[in-house]
Amino acid sequence: MDSQLLPTIGETINRVMRLDRTIFLDYMDAPHGLWLALVLVTLAGASKALGQSVILFINRVRPLRFALALIIGVIQYVGGFLVWTTSLWLVGTYGFETSATWSMMAIAVGVAYAPQTLAFFELTPFFGNGFGFLLSLWSLLAIVMGVQIGLGLTLGQAVLASGLGWLLLQIWVRTLGRPFYALGRWIETRIVDAPHSYTWRDLPTLRRRSAIQSPAIPRPAVSPARAPGPAVPHGEPSADD
Amino acid sequence: MTDALSEVLTYIGVVVVGILVWAALSPFEVLSWWAGWFGDAIYGETIPTTTPNADSPPAASARAESPRPQAYIVFLSGVARVSGESFSYREQDFLRRLAVALPTAVIINDIFPYSVNNLPLTGQPFFARLWRFALRSKLSGPGLAGYLINLRNIWQVMISADKRYGPIFNQAVADVILHTLLRHGYALDQPTPIFVIGYSGAGQVSVGATMYLKEVLHAPVYVVSLGGVFASDPGVMAADRVFHIYGTRDRVHKSGLFAPGRWSIFPGSAWNRAKREGRVEMINVGPLGHTGAGGYLDAKRHLPNGIAFVDATVACIRKLVETQLALHTPE
Repeated sequence: MDSQLLPTIGETINRVMRLDRTIFLDYMDAPHGLWLALVLVTLAGASKALGQSVILFINRVRPLRFALALIIGVIQYVGGFLVWTTSLWLVGTYGFETSATWSMMAIAVGVAYAPQTLAFFELTPFFGNGFGFLLSLWSLLAIVMGVQIGLGLTLGQAVLASGLGWLLLQIWVRTLGRPFYALGRWIETRIVDAPHSYTWRDLPTLRRRSAIQSPAIPRPAVSPARAPGPAVPHGEPSADD
Repeated sequence: MTDALSEVLTYIGVVVVGILVWAALSPFEVLSWWAGWFGDAIYGETIPTTTPNADSPPAASARAESPRPQAYIVFLSGVARVSGESFSYREQDFLRRLAVALPTAVIINDIFPYSVNNLPLTGQPFFARLWRFALRSKLSGPGLAGYLINLRNIWQVMISADKRYGPIFNQAVADVILHTLLRHGYALDQPTPIFVIGYSGAGQVSVGATMYLKEVLHAPVYVVSLGGVFASDPGVMAADRVFHIYGTRDRVHKSGLFAPGRWSIFPGSAWNRAKREGRVEMINVGPLGHTGAGGYLDAKRHLPNGIAFVDATVACIRKLVETQLALHTPE
């Protein structure tokens, strides 16, 4: 199949969301299918990084470092895809004795990442979390289908292979892959360069500068239990105290 | 025919996707404020110096006659606003009547509740032109562009109700309210009660901000939801009381029921706990609608007893304010 005839990204997302098997085959038959799948994964990574960027804002990351952190997030995402693909391919090759090549596996799994290009919609206020949950569920189904097609397995085998692939991935993360992840975290920390690393759990207790601390307004007779200055945990002593 | 229909559907699809993308990106305003990308300034209007009477022209805010006001009433407008300034003659008329009904209270109406720093949409650094165009469209009659303002402010209401963004947005609005109270002479060392009236979508904003106001103020803070749309925000437990005024012809206020925490099947939610503890009072003000003709602020339509809708609303608020002040005043 000529790559010119490959569906647009919108159509790819649409067909993957509908769990249309032929979209996987279209990409696997395309001459540059692997690169196109990588483009899809990169877009999905960018969307996912944007969708999860709230935590960067909470840590008051500056604009340039914010952009760099997003780029690092995309690289990590693509790296994760490559490791995940490899673990699935190893399970397929040695566990199920399939003859699928690594690139076939990568294309099938990469196409299954297409729904994640919508991941930035997780930012949508009020409805974003629910949307993110549904999207993750749908992506899981798409990946099982990708594994099934990429490795030429039955549905039951594909579910089992996905589970085993996930297990292999966890072993990698906790053993040989550990230094790589530590390096990734180190680079991320250096780039973000946030004075604190607040998480979601800290959010209810974080307070930003209060109007009450404005130099134009006299301080009240009563001492408010709010720390001045940028984003500090509620009640934490500050330099002014 | 089919082609034309397909084309129309494509255009509708593009518009819908555009709106969804806009909604998804809307939290960046509050998040970038939190991250300090746009500074710490809180924008404010000038403070009026005149005392209103029944014939006085509509003012942004009203000073109390008494040098020691008994209460501060903060009015947070519905989602049609672009700034702290009200362009709605019904709203102005309502506030003027409220000021006459409660002469010992300071009525504050110069807050734009859908901004983290009270900055008007028409003064925004990047999209001011768009908002000025939308405002012109709105003022010249019902226009599609005018509804962009409502839509933009609805995103802010959803941000206030969101567990991820709410703690950020709501403390920003609380800061704006606090800053405005201080500009209007609120004495922090006096426990003067504060009534935050949240009209329509501002119901959520008022409930959300109350939690953070209570951390700073050593005074009672009451939320008056006027046909308010709000979720089960922790602020309902922080407020000294929440009064939800609604009309039987108002369907909009029921959209707060989209929030699962408002459902009775979640007894542990802040809303249900507040109701059990008697912090919430639901007040049926009669066959009033949400907005416009037949709405809470309509002066031309009357109840069967001859009272104008707006006066029924004012009387309801006056009664609850006076009741709380009577409870608050030491013997």
